Amino acid sequence: MKTQLSTDVTPQSSFFISGIFRMFGKKLVQQLKDFFFTMQEFFLFSLRAFMAFPKTIRYWRDVLDQATICGTDSIPIVLVSAISIGALLAIEVGNLLEDFGAKTMLGRSTALSVIRELGPLLMGLMLSARFGSRNGAELGAMQISEQIDALRAFGTDPIAKLVMPRLVAALIMFLPLTALSDFAGLQSAAYMAEHYHRIDPGIFWNAVYPRLAPKDFVVGFLKAPVFAVIITLVSSFNGFSARGGTAGVGRSTIKGIVVSSGLVLIANFYVSKIVLENM
Amino acid sequence: MIELRKVGLKYGDREILKNISLTIKDNTIKAILGPSGVGKSTILKLMLGLIKPNNGQVIVDGTDITNMKETALYEIRRKMGMVFQGNALFDSLTISQNLGFFLRENLKLPEEEIRQKVAEQIQFAGLEGYEEQLPESLSGGMRRRVAIGRALIFKPHMILFDEPTAGLDPVSSKKILSLISSLRHNNNLGAVIVTHIIDDVFNVADSVAVLYQGEIIFDDVTEKLHEAEHPFIRSILSDKILEL
Repeated sequence: MKTQLSTDVTPQSSFFISGIFRMFGKKLVQQLKDFFFTMQEFFLFSLRAFMAFPKTIRYWRDVLDQATICGTDSIPIVLVSAISIGALLAIEVGNLLEDFGAKTMLGRSTALSVIRELGPLLMGLMLSARFGSRNGAELGAMQISEQIDALRAFGTDPIAKLVMPRLVAALIMFLPLTALSDFAGLQSAAYMAEHYHRIDPGIFWNAVYPRLAPKDFVVGFLKAPVFAVIITLVSSFNGFSARGGTAGVGRSTIKGIVVSSGLVLIANFYVSKIVLENM
Repeated sequence: MIELRKVGLKYGDREILKNISLTIKDNTIKAILGPSGVGKSTILKLMLGLIKPNNGQVIVDGTDITNMKETALYEIRRKMGMVFQGNALFDSLTISQNLGFFLRENLKLPEEEIRQKVAEQIQFAGLEGYEEQLPESLSGGMRRRVAIGRALIFKPHMILFDEPTAGLDPVSSKKILSLISSLRHNNNLGAVIVTHIIDDVFNVADSVAVLYQGEIIFDDVTEKLHEAEHPFIRSILSDKILEL
């Protein structure tokens, strides 16, 4: 006897299912539309921020203010994260190398990790949280209270006045912060190597300096301007896009931090990949 | 003179303004009356070119600003002053810094001249002694007066007021309304007042446009509002404040 596949789909349920598909399809199309519209807006916003660079001299006071906020004021958080990750790395990698009798390689392995990856990455994530959240909240509050509209209404370009100084300041300050992060990370690793693993500092540093190649620094320091652009533009754009009162400011700030942190992680991978493959 | 010709505006699928035509002549006070969320403030933003309409034209002093570039609009906007609903004062700047902000930003004036202009506006707003205070330490009425002083800083010929008396006590409201009237009489300024308070319209406006469901349902001299037969206008004349 032939078995026949039973189809329980009645005309009513088929109509219901196709209705659900239509509804989700419509939503998906709308979301895609919104996504591409936001991307277009972000591109134009970024373009205007870069095109405002010639006004840097006019807004030098704002650039200095922002350099203090994202640079000098960020030193403690960058130091804390770099020192703790350097120390942790030295302990864990040292333990691992001990199993292979290669503890003297600790300097080399921590130096590469810190300078190429962890120093800039941690600095980027910390600044995404600190500088990015400040940008998002401050610009979001200005947007909600119509201060940004007021700038436009009285003939001032809000992107040149508010975003460009942040971008210039971040581009300038992220480089020394990366260097500071690398330095603090390596110092704390050296300290742990000496006091935890009982490795002579001479051996540690001898494994660091002679073996570092220019490409190791290029990988690390190229990330600083990339992160500066990502963090500043994403957080500022989200601040400018804030809608819906104080809750809207909160939402835009969170979105700015989450998106910029995600992009920092992705950019970190691609910068390393591209530089290491081509140098 | 500001003209809106058959202006329409949509946010997504929602039609905010439908075929709006308005004319605001120099040295007159025009009120735009309507319930909250009907698009009154949007009309002011259209007049300044802060928002672009989907269709129609916005004309300021004979210049079509509908599709004008942002940088070109800056010059046009300085012909008009804007007093925002929440004042939009810069909260980290003092009162005198707020008043001088756009002079320092946009005009290459000597610092002495800027200080003199700021002092004039401080005096006009009756805020002597408050120059170094932050906006948060002032009352609502005082903040509104600072916002009006700031709107006058470029000596515009038209001022746009977004709900000038909203959230103010009756005494402060009266002061603000008399300030608006005095601007026309003493400074030959025109004004557009967006409001949902009908008493404000009768107190200061020469003419009034009533906005209802995105359309202008009345546009004439204020006195004729009493003769209007539209049910919505009849209802607001009896209720005085629109809470619809």
